[in-house]
Amino acid sequence: MNAPLSSAPATAPEAWAINVDHVGKTFTLDGGKELKAIDDVDIKIGQGEFVALLGPSGCGKSTILRLVAALEDVSTGRVTVEGSNPTALSRAHRLGVAFQDHALLPWLTIRDNIALPYKVAGRPVDDKRIAELLALVGLSGFEKARPRQLSGGMRQRVSIARALVLKPDVLLLDEPFGALDAVTRRHMNVELQRIWSEQRITTLLVTHSVEEALFLADRVIVMSGRPGRIIKEIQVPFARPRSPDVQRTMEFHHLADELTLALEPEGHH
Amino acid sequence: MSPVSQTRSPLDWVKTAISRYWGVVGVLIAWQAWVTITGVNSIVIPHPINVVGDLVFNPGVYLANAGQTLFLAAAGLILGMALGTMVAIVAWSSRILSGILVPLGLIFSSVPVVALIPVLARLLGYDVKTVLGIVIIISFFPAFVFTAAGLKSLPPGSSDLFKVFGASRWTRFVHLVLPSAVPNWMIALRLSAPPAVLSAMLAEFLMGKSGLGFLFRQSATEFATERAFGTSVIATVISVLCFTSAVAAEKFINEKWK
Amino acid sequence: MKMTAERWQSLTLGIVGIALFLAAWEAIGVNRLAGLTWPPLSAVFQFMFDPTKAQLFIRAMEASFSMVILGYVTGSVVGIALAGLVHVLPVVRPGMDRLASVIHAIPAIALAPLFIVLISREFTGMAIAALNVFFILYVSTTSGLNNSTAGHRDLFQVLGSSRTTRLLRLDLPAALPAVVSGMKYSVPAAFIGAILGEWFGSSRGLGLLMVSAMQNFQIPLLWSAVFIASTASLIVFGLMGLLEQFVYGRYK
Repeated sequence: MNAPLSSAPATAPEAWAINVDHVGKTFTLDGGKELKAIDDVDIKIGQGEFVALLGPSGCGKSTILRLVAALEDVSTGRVTVEGSNPTALSRAHRLGVAFQDHALLPWLTIRDNIALPYKVAGRPVDDKRIAELLALVGLSGFEKARPRQLSGGMRQRVSIARALVLKPDVLLLDEPFGALDAVTRRHMNVELQRIWSEQRITTLLVTHSVEEALFLADRVIVMSGRPGRIIKEIQVPFARPRSPDVQRTMEFHHLADELTLALEPEGHH
Repeated sequence: MSPVSQTRSPLDWVKTAISRYWGVVGVLIAWQAWVTITGVNSIVIPHPINVVGDLVFNPGVYLANAGQTLFLAAAGLILGMALGTMVAIVAWSSRILSGILVPLGLIFSSVPVVALIPVLARLLGYDVKTVLGIVIIISFFPAFVFTAAGLKSLPPGSSDLFKVFGASRWTRFVHLVLPSAVPNWMIALRLSAPPAVLSAMLAEFLMGKSGLGFLFRQSATEFATERAFGTSVIATVISVLCFTSAVAAEKFINEKWK
Repeated sequence: MKMTAERWQSLTLGIVGIALFLAAWEAIGVNRLAGLTWPPLSAVFQFMFDPTKAQLFIRAMEASFSMVILGYVTGSVVGIALAGLVHVLPVVRPGMDRLASVIHAIPAIALAPLFIVLISREFTGMAIAALNVFFILYVSTTSGLNNSTAGHRDLFQVLGSSRTTRLLRLDLPAALPAVVSGMKYSVPAAFIGAILGEWFGSSRGLGLLMVSAMQNFQIPLLWSAVFIASTASLIVFGLMGLLEQFVYGRYK
């Protein structure tokens, strides 16, 4: 049932796992005015690649993720995931997603929340897999707890476990740690890096944190706002698995400075 | 201090009891004091002790009628809630239906529905089944309005989540939409419980031949004030029981649900 | 507020719904689908606006509405005042909460004999209306008074304000939306109270009209009385809804 995690797509017409092909998106506001959220954005993500979309709030980076997740339709251009329409992928239950809001169902236990994708897909629940994932995100023993009994960081770990449970082909992370405090957030980044290095699923991360993007991604794409455009792209050179110490190297600081500078609004200097 | 260290001292019990029940006890004392001081004729206002006496010596009369009223109120409440829930689900399934039904439901739930009892009594005929019908109709509107709103108040982000997971309409309904409505459904249950008992009694009062409401009217016309007040006491007990069990059920569900 | 396509659509659907309801009422009545006791809407209107009946309805409305207003005002004042009291004196709050919910759970019919003796048959409706309104306003005001945020309360604490100043300058304005919502929801409750009261042997009012019309098979009169009471309640409810919107815009 599940596609192998990191093999090349044999049948796909193109090699890209995610292809955002010159996409524009315009929203119609309440008063009838039109707002151009993103304009001519072109992003190609390879199999097993981790790409971070970095930008200020309101730059349309979440819109791109929502287009890839088939939550919105493009106005111009085309989005394909694994060579087909994104809707096809979500219908086949091959997308994993975690939002800034954990979106755990409050009436389900932690175990049942992680089992939810099985129920949605109409597949038998694999308790071994759930136990494995709970161990992976460090929450063994919390199976029977309810979301409100957990801390914010723990809830986000549950939502990441839920995103991974069906072994998705593509993982979409929309500011998954955006609502956490700085210390928890750094800790969660280290955890996510470890988890990801074990599974290597094609991942698109949306964030406004320079350090998060650099520490987690293979490639960082910087966007500017209104309308959202790509203004910079850098390859992250650090080998995996990455230890937290990477963040204290000179190279990391240089790259962070470079990205921070790119994020500054023009004419600020 | 009490020698058993786990239990709270009697003084604490008294304190808690006073802080919680001073109001209720105060009203009862005021009633007794008023009767004693003014020395009203016991045909007008019976002494509490005589009311208790009538309750103790004639349990059969009270039990049979209270049983009927309680049954009609509970059955009507359940059927009304079920009907309201079903209509809310039908409305949820179609934008046009919900656009038509929800405003009507809102209007009816802000009308003094109890005032409809005489019309319903005339329409459905003087019958026990009419009492049940009245309770069903009165419980229907809160159930419909609250469930319809509940079916739309999904946890934040969950709607997107289900789309990304590729959920079918049915899966979405069973695993997300229906459970989301449960807390609202419990609110409707809590809000409808006292009116269910009240409307059953009112219907019996206006046109019934049995039940607490009828007993009340009968004793009032025969100037059997002890019986009338005894009926009030039983009605209050039933209503308070229904209300507190609805509150307890809501609390229990919310602990699991929220 | 701009009218979007969606708002227009829901407004249209709402009007269609009401029109369908009224049309169904008329059709069922004309075709006698529900028997002789369901008159067509037009017959009810005809009866209601019959000049010879005007005196009857006006007297009944005067009697009932004065009880509604008296009960509504009494209940609101007492409810808000007691909520304010327990807010300033938290010691008495548990007992007051308990009393309020017991009063709420007592079916009005059970209180009727007490009121009839204590304050006469004519004013029983007012008393029941006042109790209904009291409960709703007590609950909404107490919860509204806790609406001020912790940050704001800390601010007043730091500024060294007294309990009363805080109540007047912070808690009451913050509670206003909840209070106004409570006042809206207690409108039908006040009407129910007044009408119920009249069922227990009052000699005037719409409630009496309903019961006697029901017993004497005066079908158009019965429906007219119910229609008048429901419409009056709805109109006041709608007006309070407008006030609520205004207050929400200003204080939330």
